Amino acid sequence: MEVALKIWRYDADTGERELRDYEIEAPEWACLLDVLDLIKDQQDGTLAYRKSCRMMICGSCGMRMDGRAVLACKERMLPIVERGHVPVISAMGNMPIVKDLVVDMDPFWNKIRRMKPWLDPGYDEVLEKERIVSQQQMNVIQKEALCIMCGCCVSECNSMEADPEFFGPAALAKGFRFVGDSRDQAAVERLEDYNDEHGIWDCTRCYFCNERCPKGVDPRDAIAKLGAESLKEGIDRDMGAKHAKWFIKSTETTGWLRETELVPKTQGIVEAVKQTKFAIGLAKHGKVPPPGPVHVAADVNEARALRGLVREQGREGALGIVQGERGLARIEHTDAGGARRDTPAMTPGEEPPKAEG
Amino acid sequence: MEAKHDVLIVGAGCAGMRAAIEAFDAGADVALLSKIHPVRSHSGAAEGGINAALGNASEDDPEKHAFDTVKGSDYLGDQNAIQVLCDEAPDDVYQLEHWGAVFSRTEDGRIAQRPFGAAGEPRTAYAADITGHVLVHVLYEQVMKRDIQTYEEYFAWQLVINDDRCQGVISWDLLNGGLKTIGAKTVILATGGAGRLYTGTTNAYACTGDGMTMALRAGVPLKDMEMMQFHPTTLAPTGILITEGTRGEGAYLLNSEGDRFLTRYAPNAMELASRDVISRAEQTEIDEGRGVDGNVLLDMRHLGAEKIIERLHGTRELAMTYAGVDPIHQPIPVRPGAHYHMGGVDTDLDGRTQLEGLYAAGECACVSVHGANRLGGNALMETITYGKRAGLHAADWALTHTTIEVPESVETDAERQLKDLLDRTQGERPWSIRNELAETMHENFGVFRREDQMREQGEIVAGLRERYEHVVVEDKGDVFNNDLTQALELGFLLELAQSMVVCGLARKESRGAHARPYDYPERDDENFLRHTLVRWIADAPVLDWKPVTITKWQPMERTY
Repeated sequence: MEVALKIWRYDADTGERELRDYEIEAPEWACLLDVLDLIKDQQDGTLAYRKSCRMMICGSCGMRMDGRAVLACKERMLPIVERGHVPVISAMGNMPIVKDLVVDMDPFWNKIRRMKPWLDPGYDEVLEKERIVSQQQMNVIQKEALCIMCGCCVSECNSMEADPEFFGPAALAKGFRFVGDSRDQAAVERLEDYNDEHGIWDCTRCYFCNERCPKGVDPRDAIAKLGAESLKEGIDRDMGAKHAKWFIKSTETTGWLRETELVPKTQGIVEAVKQTKFAIGLAKHGKVPPPGPVHVAADVNEARALRGLVREQGREGALGIVQGERGLARIEHTDAGGARRDTPAMTPGEEPPKAEG
Repeated sequence: MEAKHDVLIVGAGCAGMRAAIEAFDAGADVALLSKIHPVRSHSGAAEGGINAALGNASEDDPEKHAFDTVKGSDYLGDQNAIQVLCDEAPDDVYQLEHWGAVFSRTEDGRIAQRPFGAAGEPRTAYAADITGHVLVHVLYEQVMKRDIQTYEEYFAWQLVINDDRCQGVISWDLLNGGLKTIGAKTVILATGGAGRLYTGTTNAYACTGDGMTMALRAGVPLKDMEMMQFHPTTLAPTGILITEGTRGEGAYLLNSEGDRFLTRYAPNAMELASRDVISRAEQTEIDEGRGVDGNVLLDMRHLGAEKIIERLHGTRELAMTYAGVDPIHQPIPVRPGAHYHMGGVDTDLDGRTQLEGLYAAGECACVSVHGANRLGGNALMETITYGKRAGLHAADWALTHTTIEVPESVETDAERQLKDLLDRTQGERPWSIRNELAETMHENFGVFRREDQMREQGEIVAGLRERYEHVVVEDKGDVFNNDLTQALELGFLLELAQSMVVCGLARKESRGAHARPYDYPERDDENFLRHTLVRWIADAPVLDWKPVTITKWQPMERTY
């Protein structure tokens, strides 16, 4: 197949950027990485990008295709060629470009290191046997342990674009990998630390990290789990934590969200008073519900029952975060034979081979 | 010289990082140097697991593990080295668990173990089907904890030899450009394998045998280089690995007639026979017309969706992405692909090579634990146990010796060689040589070997080496010039290929991965129960032999 690409080239010495067109003959099974290899071999040896395993495990080849972070080894080109589309390839975002598609990952790794990313078992090396841990306990960090540190989530992070110091989805997912590990004895100190400025509550919940993670780690869910664990441990000094707490309190007591009280509960009385003028302005435009009397929803007991269920099941911390089992769901929801690409010709004999037993 | 260290480790996969941790804990000033970031290392692609006689799934002990390994090696493994591995394996695995490795668990919360090929007991500890990934990350966590200096994206090119000692490494700094010399009292090579010698390989682009060739060029012998393992289940056309764990969990191998053809090759062990046995069986089926488009079929449908999703999630993802097949509903087309080099830099039980100050561990080394055929799950274990041992002994040596000297001439020679290469503007670029090498190695030095094909391959490689002398690097820049490093990698591969051919021709028997059904179909213990050694003398490989260490297991016929 004839593949056409546009690649954003970047020359580190001159600082010049240029969008260049490429066309090359590639086999139908080729992924983006294979096509880049063919271009580098046959057309331009100066094209720079990272690669190694070409099987989605080393995390080297993160880059953007049409403005969306991908692993180049995971993107099959055939459907794109069939659509007649010419994708634009560029370096990942939120990290300085070194050359062409290669970014400087130092800021990324510095944030990972900042999380103290190693197990704190609470003792010095004791070597008799393994610790007894149930599979269920291990499953808590199953998705976070899948992370290959490719940087795709960081590339797409909107919070980091606004605040480059934001810890970011990869580092926070790594953080949860330890907070959620029953063998780690430093969970509370970690939570205190991750609650700092630029920490967990600075995530804007845009879900781009979940959407773009090539491994189904769902970093945003990890951040939500860190938030839930923080509240469970009573770590609520950040406005974000207070905000979340009021949501819970408000729905539990009245069955709906009392927005009027949200500002003082989140920012404190003093800050809220300072915003009186703004609030009056909003009120004039009918944007503020009347402050009283407190309205209690007719079905408030359902909200309370839900809350009771969460307590009963011990799901107050990370275990309560169930909204995004996307990583697995993505894979699970395929119908018979409905894999994500065309099946190669495979017609052995008259009948398809049958399994014995 | 940029910097000096007690111990400098080249390569930062499982063996390299494990060595670094051990050397650091022994009190040495340690640094890692790698052409890719440590977590990008190909150890991370190991899927199935790591073998240790923990006895969590059955009665097991290191003695049984050792016997299985000896037999699996087709008696070419050194039995003292195997004994050390199997004895130390359980504690080394517990250590990984205490560092935080996310192992899969048994019902009662211990490390789970699954059956693997040619193992008498379910001995393979695992983390779903991402065991290597989990180990690479847990080791890197420990490297970060110790704040061990890491020269990331430094491409090691030459060893510094002075005063008959290895005293450092000359490397190309990928991010900034320029040759950088790092001095060291001891250097540990942990650069992994050389699967890129073949077109269909499970190995990453980074697996170009750098450490093996650097040692070879420094006069250090390589051992058993003809022994390249072909993994029975790799995806066409790229060779992406489908773990043996699939068969450990009960998957079947079928031919085009829907037969479990292993009934004819390994009636007892079936899909859990040794890798060399299964690869040959598959190749025979394919050659005799019972393949499916050059493949056989790996059928896991009867395992059920739940088991596949829980324990073989990554495998499913690979099959779906690269073969368009969901193994819950369809069998996966697989064929043998180059996977693991049993051969490598000749070392003793402490990782020492024949050059003072130079050590090697992991796939680039040959202790030899795997002999003529490696058992699945033993490679990760070797990286850990022998990485640890090399780290400890390199640190011990370094801490009792003081000087590092790198003569200026060593650096200026390297600069001049590099300039010669970069100044060349007219000629062929390396990629066609690289492709021809990999295609012909597959054709002429694959699962089955013939005298005439091996001879032909020798001539082909010699011709490619001549062309390589005039090769042109198109990128002349300093920043991330991997056009340059890929050219240097090809140089490494060509010398290894030539060495392999020499060893392959010399071994006139069939043993493990070295199968010569047309002229020498039997194992010949009388003449060839010994290692091949190869040295680089006057720009050519020179063959030698070394005895196999046999302690308590006399060679027997090997059936599964």
